[in-house]
Amino acid sequence: MKFKITIIVCTLMLLGGFTIAGSSSAAEPYHLGVNLAITGTGALYCKDGVDAIKLAVEEINAKGGFLGKHSVELFVRDTHTKPDVAVREAKDLILRDKVRAILGTYSSACAVAIKPVAQEYKVLHIPAISNSENITKVNFSPYTYQVVPNSYMQAKAVVLGVAELAKKKGWKNYMTIASDYEWGRSTQNNTVALLKQLAPDLKLKKEFWPRLGETQFTSYITAIMGQKPDFVIGSVASKDNVAWIQQAKAYGFFEKIPYPGSLISVSELIVQSKSLTRGLVGLCRAPFFAHLDVPMMANFVESFKAKYGRYPSDWAVMEYDAVYVLKQGIEKAGSIDTDKVKDALKGATVDTTRGQLYFRKIDNQLSCSSYIGVVADDSKYPFPIYHDVVEVKGPDSWRPEEEIVAARAK
Amino acid sequence: MDASLVFAQFLSGLSRGMMLFLIASGLSLIFGVMNILNFAHATLWLVGAYFCYTFWFLMQDYGFGLWLSIPLAALVLAAIGWVIEVVLIRRVYNRELPEQLLLTYAMVLILGDLIKIIWGVEDKLIDRPPLVEGPVFIFGMPFDSYFIFVILVGLAVAVGLWWFLQKTRYGHIVRAAVFSREMVSALGIPIPRIYSGVFALGIFIAGLAGAVQAPIGSITLGMDMAVVIQAFCVVVIGGFGSLLGTFVAAMIVGEVYAFSILFWPQGALVLIFIVTAIVLIIRPWGLFGTPTRA
Repeated sequence: MKFKITIIVCTLMLLGGFTIAGSSSAAEPYHLGVNLAITGTGALYCKDGVDAIKLAVEEINAKGGFLGKHSVELFVRDTHTKPDVAVREAKDLILRDKVRAILGTYSSACAVAIKPVAQEYKVLHIPAISNSENITKVNFSPYTYQVVPNSYMQAKAVVLGVAELAKKKGWKNYMTIASDYEWGRSTQNNTVALLKQLAPDLKLKKEFWPRLGETQFTSYITAIMGQKPDFVIGSVASKDNVAWIQQAKAYGFFEKIPYPGSLISVSELIVQSKSLTRGLVGLCRAPFFAHLDVPMMANFVESFKAKYGRYPSDWAVMEYDAVYVLKQGIEKAGSIDTDKVKDALKGATVDTTRGQLYFRKIDNQLSCSSYIGVVADDSKYPFPIYHDVVEVKGPDSWRPEEEIVAARAK
Repeated sequence: MDASLVFAQFLSGLSRGMMLFLIASGLSLIFGVMNILNFAHATLWLVGAYFCYTFWFLMQDYGFGLWLSIPLAALVLAAIGWVIEVVLIRRVYNRELPEQLLLTYAMVLILGDLIKIIWGVEDKLIDRPPLVEGPVFIFGMPFDSYFIFVILVGLAVAVGLWWFLQKTRYGHIVRAAVFSREMVSALGIPIPRIYSGVFALGIFIAGLAGAVQAPIGSITLGMDMAVVIQAFCVVVIGGFGSLLGTFVAAMIVGEVYAFSILFWPQGALVLIFIVTAIVLIIRPWGLFGTPTRA
């Protein structure tokens, strides 16, 4: 009897073992690549992005992974904010780590550089920080989905606000200062072109192009202040933006010259909490405090705070959304097969921390908003946030489809 | 063109030049005396900025926090410089230049990783004390008050180095060692100790420059690479090993940069490299260097 029971138990154990082994080999893990600037100019933004991705992956894995069975394995690579490194790392992620999707990227130059690589190897590519519109406007890749308001959308949001202000205040001329690389150039070009349309009387007096990585802006500041423009529009990136604002403030720049709509993300609000000039009119891409009414955002902020002891920046919000967009694409496709997921996301409506949004079919651009507001202290937070937030919706600010068609035909 | 605008631009060029002088003077001193081309100089400058941040962070509640952090950071860097000389640099004095460059470039990578381990990858920001938070007005034009401090530090280093090299016994020995190590050694003066001292002094100035830079913007990895090329340009234009040359070249680079931003903003950096290239072609030993060093 004892022998029989032993045989039955052993048989059951073996069967059980096979079943487990069988199911685990069927549900292969999902290899997810992250291509961000852990060091270099973009480090300020990217650390938050990586942390948010890790949090999203933990949450998804706690429920069994994608489709409840494909546990997600993360492969994080540092681009050093250099396109050649980004391409090398992207290839390595694809060929060695066999990733099915690459999230990223900081620096639009990196995003533009790895887009054809992802397309060649049929890997999904979801930029969630870099936002040059050229990532999706020209040389279109069906594998690239953009979950950040692109440079055109941001520029249009600023321009709508600035044109209004110019009319009110009687401004006649302006200058621009923008980081000298893909994003800075494309944002500045879009802003200038749009301002020409909406406020044709405004005259562009001069353009300044500090190189990416500039540490000392004094000569730019004195040159601008000495020529007394009515206002200045800036597109200065990441830590350069911190240095620029810090130094311009020390010159009393913002008290003398209106500087509407420069990128002041939640990162800058936190890092420069003491020094940032109150009353500045800033622009950001995904401020958590604008969407605390969305349960997904409220939960994310709570979880992020609990795990990392700080509030999430725009970059954290968008990278977190990128993971959940991917998850919803996989669920809609019912498979982790990249081509099926890519097709499922085409024109898809997705739930994000910023509410329910959709991808525009022509360029895979998410219909996400841009946010403009006045920097002001708030008793709820240990750093200033935006007050009087104006949310410019994606469909109100993105480039008309016919212009995209025309740009691609060139 | 408004004269006050030209003056403001001159001042901003002066502050930029002074910062470049602070970085390049240590580089030039080390090369001039020891014949070592220290590619890691700007990375040590960055380490100085990080140390300044740490000291400031510990003392931020006190008004003197930043002012004490700057010399402390420089002293720590001097100690680090001494150790680096004894452990690494001493072994490559008689090696070829490419080997020296390889060693010092390796130091760039190692120090970069150490910064990541010790301070993390987040940017660090120092809040300036109220005294240097706002502008001062010179002939009606605003000027960042902190840069007055930068200019004063730069002048102090220039005068201090000149006095040290020209007026002190130790300085005379150092200058003698430039021309003949053997003769100095024959007089019973320990050359290794002189070299350790000079290297530590060079890195002290780098640390001081980094600490002075720290409150100007955010401190982050990669800043060193943006600066090292311009520092080399300064040293090349001025002449390797020439203190006066480094000073004049730093001012030229600072002013060329400042005024090209006013008149030709797109070409600011290009102009610096054009000046460097012209000097290299016409006077390969630099404006104040000696032909034997070319």
